[in-house]
Amino acid sequence: MSSKSNLDRAGFLLFLLLAILPMAAGLLYAASYSVGLAGLLSEGFTWEYWGRPFQEGNQIFASFAFSLGVALAATAITLLVALLLVLTVRRSLDSGLLAHLSTIPLALPGTVLAFVILQWCSGSGIAARAAYALGLLQTPAQFPGIVNDQYGVGIIIAQVMVGVPFFALLFTQLWHSQRISQLMELAQTIGATRAQRAMRVAVPLLLHRAFPTVMLHLVAVIGVYEVPLLLGVQSPQMISVLTMRNYAMFDLQQKPEAFICAILYTLLSLLLIAIAWRRMHRMDHEQSA
Amino acid sequence: MVLTVQEIGKCFGQQMVLQGVALSVAERQTLSVLGRSGCGKTTLLKIIAGLIAPDSGTVRLHGAEITKKPTEQRNVVYLYQEPLLFPHLTVFENIAFGLRLRRLPNNDLTHRTTRMLEHLELQAHAKKFPHQLSGGQKQRTAFGRAIIIAPDVLLLDEPFSSLDPETRASMQHLFKQLAQEYGIASLFVTHDLKEAILMGDSIGYMEAGKLTTFASRQEFINHPDYGARNEIEFWSSLRQQATNHDHAATV
Repeated sequence: MSSKSNLDRAGFLLFLLLAILPMAAGLLYAASYSVGLAGLLSEGFTWEYWGRPFQEGNQIFASFAFSLGVALAATAITLLVALLLVLTVRRSLDSGLLAHLSTIPLALPGTVLAFVILQWCSGSGIAARAAYALGLLQTPAQFPGIVNDQYGVGIIIAQVMVGVPFFALLFTQLWHSQRISQLMELAQTIGATRAQRAMRVAVPLLLHRAFPTVMLHLVAVIGVYEVPLLLGVQSPQMISVLTMRNYAMFDLQQKPEAFICAILYTLLSLLLIAIAWRRMHRMDHEQSA
Repeated sequence: MVLTVQEIGKCFGQQMVLQGVALSVAERQTLSVLGRSGCGKTTLLKIIAGLIAPDSGTVRLHGAEITKKPTEQRNVVYLYQEPLLFPHLTVFENIAFGLRLRRLPNNDLTHRTTRMLEHLELQAHAKKFPHQLSGGQKQRTAFGRAIIIAPDVLLLDEPFSSLDPETRASMQHLFKQLAQEYGIASLFVTHDLKEAILMGDSIGYMEAGKLTTFASRQEFINHPDYGARNEIEFWSSLRQQATNHDHAATV
């Protein structure tokens, strides 16, 4: 056997040991806990905990819906802004000051970003004080509540701030690799106006190629923790925050619900990742043809 | 004349790429422009298409000056060396692209695109995406996409250079047929002497940014400087040798 295939096999085993096995073990433990087979209060197999999400007043499904809504809104706004940037200032994103500046938000930890938004956008924040000083508000409290609000506006803003530079860089790379400039020129000679070139060539092509990454971004935003912890409200909560709250509660009866949340989130993530993989596989095939 | 180019000049920095280029293409005619790589052929085509602005000179279409007219309003289609199909669209949608831009009624669009697909023998591939096509099928789709909007002039920048000899020959034949049928004037750029002679009703030779045009193919072939006569003699002598060899073998 060649040394390359030995190395491949060793790498696969290492991946299995360090990544797959701990995760599988964690999931197995979560599944056991959620059916009463593990934990301090375990009294044998039961479906009782799985019935709880369907009980009135339970927050699990509302939390999932809220997380999905926030993730979809944040991803849609992110894509829209990133596409606009690439279509208007792509050359500056290729090189120069903007290219460097645009990467800064990517390096900011979620907690720092959340504090920045709190400082700027809360009722007692810089923007509210400035508006008050300019006479636009009677009291700083009149400032629209876009942090710790029930629609997750603050969370969405934070995710958009991180997502836009990432997708702008990705789209810039795709612009070159997919020869979009040449396709746009060709479309122009066929008669496409600037708007038609953008809407019929650049945008669909960029979104088509970026689709797997968009799905992974969606998974990441659904599961984000620090930002909704600082910028969210008590109800509805993002699924990650609700899971952690249930897990860390003194009431041990809530723990199985935390594991149910974790399992449901894992299943949703796996579904989205499977869709992304399928598309990636198709695109590999397209590229190799 | 459909297309008239006069005294076109273009510099990139200190480098003079085109110098006093003049040419004309009559209705339903193809002008082949022969020249080595880097002699300015592509720049000339891009200036005519409106993708590059010339430093001097004029471009006229049916007598009207279009030098400063936006590319999308010229009705001059530029075909790249590669088919460059839109990868996110099917063959049908690639061909229908120009018609969709012109907001044709759906029935008319479907009818015209289907007819073009039949013409190009691509009906069976209408729903396929570009990555599922062979090189020849891609090139046929690219032709269909260009011709369906009935351009005044078609600019072809070595369109068959990436094809194998057999597909190349069949594409050359198809292009001549389509150009005749749809009455399209075209400018065909190539570095292949045989292809230039085969495709052009008239021929131009480009060297270091200067274009020499010949009114007829024969005039070009007879000119001693461009090697066409030598080429023909070489192939004729080879054929003669092969005939003699066959005759001797039979005896």
